[in-house]
Amino acid sequence: MNSEVLLLILGMALVTYIPRALPALLINKLKFSRRMEKFLQLIPYTAMAALIFPGILTVDSEFWWIGACGGVAAIVMAWNKLPLAFTVVGSVVVVMCIYLIL
Amino acid sequence: MDKKQHYISGLRAGAPVILGFVPVGIAYAIMAQQAGLGILETILMSITVFAGASQIMAVGMYAQGASLFAIILATFILNLRHLIMSTCVINRIKQSSLAMKLLLAFGVTDESFAIFSMQVDKQATAWFFLGLVTITYAAWVAGAIIGTIVTQFLPAIVTASLGIALYALFLGLLMPGVKRNLRLGILVILTAAINLILSKIIPSSWALIVSALLGAGIGVFFVELEDTQEQEEERHE
Repeated sequence: MNSEVLLLILGMALVTYIPRALPALLINKLKFSRRMEKFLQLIPYTAMAALIFPGILTVDSEFWWIGACGGVAAIVMAWNKLPLAFTVVGSVVVVMCIYLIL
Repeated sequence: MDKKQHYISGLRAGAPVILGFVPVGIAYAIMAQQAGLGILETILMSITVFAGASQIMAVGMYAQGASLFAIILATFILNLRHLIMSTCVINRIKQSSLAMKLLLAFGVTDESFAIFSMQVDKQATAWFFLGLVTITYAAWVAGAIIGTIVTQFLPAIVTASLGIALYALFLGLLMPGVKRNLRLGILVILTAAINLILSKIIPSSWALIVSALLGAGIGVFFVELEDTQEQEEERHE
């Protein structure tokens, strides 16, 4: 195994477990203000927003619109409440069709 | 009910999560392998981290050549939300031993938290949660193992198209919340715009971290969310 990757996994495991374990160690000592609680709840949404854009436009190194098409397909499927796995596979299929046509 | 019955009903309550965790676990493993992780490394990350979105984010950042520090920091920020969920779970199993609490805390995910929150007090025991964690964790690790096997047989055109999977997954995770909450949708678009600008100025992995924190900081002032902790407490006290 690659020692850099092992270090990465170890670091990720540690920083993921700490927030999970803290409430067990500091029982009744952890109180969040409404504002802090809201901040923590919003992070997944803002992090995912930043993860998606503009990265999605670089799915294909040459044509930005290929990623955009896959994204629109995913939005339409998710909007219509299709299961997550279906949304993922569906948008992969859309991109695959584009590559087949090109 | 005794421990065994609680454990079994926890297993049952978690069963639907298999349908979500196995495919996403497979998708993660395929992306991890594409990013250059080995088979054992791919599976080891699922075993030790057990947090889907952050694992997928991490392999994506790794593929783009982000520094280890940036990836670990981004993971920490993305998973900070477990602090609230774990607080709610631990509050309902106060009588358990510290060792049991520390074990169960490892299994706090968005899904296990959501299911546990829906249980009535009589049902919400440590053994029930252990059942829930057993089934969700097994599904997550199984997904990674299946994914490492599946990768070997994928045709080139499929592999080339998989780059979109990560984004489709995040869009799929975002949409239900955004659809219910217009202001949250505005915040998501605003954060994406901030990230677009920042990524022109600073390396993209740092732009991601700054945008997520900045976006959440701005969102505190205008987005309304359903409360988790306080609702919980009102319901159970």
